[in-house]
Amino acid sequence: MDSGETTVPSPKERAEQQQWDMDLLVGYILLGGVLLSMALVAAGLIWRWAATGNIGFDYRLAGMNLFELAVHDIRLSLDGAFRPRLLITSGIIVLMLTPYFRVAASVVYFAGVLKNWKYTAFTGFVLIVLTYSLFLR
Amino acid sequence: MLPFYLLFLVSILAGFVGAMSGMGGGIILIPALTLMGIDIKHAIAVSILSVIATSSGSASAYVRDHITNLKVGMFLEMFTIVGALAGAAITLVSSQRPLYIAFGSVLLGSWLALLLAGHETWHAGRQDAFTRWLELEGSYPDYAVGSEIHYKARRAYFGAPAMFGAGMIAGLLGIGAGAVKVLIHDLIMGLPPKVSTTTSNLIIGVTALAGTSVYLAAGLIDPGLAAPVILGVVLGAFLGTRLLVRLTNKAVRRFFLFVLLVLATEMVFRGLRGL
Repeated sequence: MDSGETTVPSPKERAEQQQWDMDLLVGYILLGGVLLSMALVAAGLIWRWAATGNIGFDYRLAGMNLFELAVHDIRLSLDGAFRPRLLITSGIIVLMLTPYFRVAASVVYFAGVLKNWKYTAFTGFVLIVLTYSLFLR
Repeated sequence: MLPFYLLFLVSILAGFVGAMSGMGGGIILIPALTLMGIDIKHAIAVSILSVIATSSGSASAYVRDHITNLKVGMFLEMFTIVGALAGAAITLVSSQRPLYIAFGSVLLGSWLALLLAGHETWHAGRQDAFTRWLELEGSYPDYAVGSEIHYKARRAYFGAPAMFGAGMIAGLLGIGAGAVKVLIHDLIMGLPPKVSTTTSNLIIGVTALAGTSVYLAAGLIDPGLAAPVILGVVLGAFLGTRLLVRLTNKAVRRFFLFVLLVLATEMVFRGLRGL
């Protein structure tokens, strides 16, 4: 029996601490994703402005899903066609993947750290539906 | 093409108000973009993309401040994303005027319900067995009061289907539909106002992603329009978030009511008049 003065956290305290750690994990994924995405978009705009003296541009995407867009971008940059608008589409891709990664990380955290199977199933369902939607054509 | 600075400034304002109220930036952005002559479906598409940014940017701060309830968010997301996919699919085949009227009506409905509910202050209620099974409870630090507030959610069995509807509105109209989500959190599930707005912010991100994927596949996302809009919206949301943590519930609500009413009237009017 413990004396009651031990510094070992109780299961409840530990659960609370893990919940707080998850808050931080989710928070930093969201923050990182948005910052990276904004940096890419801003860099694309500044590059465009530096190269042409014009910051705005009219550019549309043919209908394609996120993965087709990503493959398209990677192919263009491998061909050496590295352009400002490529940075902007990369920013859009990163932005769309931010909540996606947040959900994926939640599945892993609920399963691996919290061992909360109920919420592993809930977040897993969300991940599957989102994956499906990103493959829409 | 509209001037870059104009799009950028309007987007900053939209992001600011969206974060302050927990509504997401779309509610200001779409009326503003259509007033500037952009087709409503393109406005909806770029708006819902920007909503991912607003929501994720401000949610990141709330989540790290331990105000957001992750379990409430993750449970309800299951329903909003399916709704968002359905809603976006409807918008693709719809004509323009019904979209204006639907947009205005959703705003007006939210305004009315919130006005009627506005007088009661939050109080802890009894939790039902299902909501307890879902582990929907928590506590958060309230800086305005200076103490930790404990709460238990309730009636998740009503909250969930209502969230499907909220997701559908989000996908259909390209907004976070934060007003509707906050309403469901407040009135059905009995969450304290700050938890309800911040958790709504978290849910909005994935809901908007589901909607965005439909609009992207349909070719409605213009990177040339999206670039100034998402940059502006995120900047505005960043400023709005910094302010919300320091404000009392009453001030947030009053501001929120005013903005809703103005925009609701304007959109319904344009839909009825034929744009």
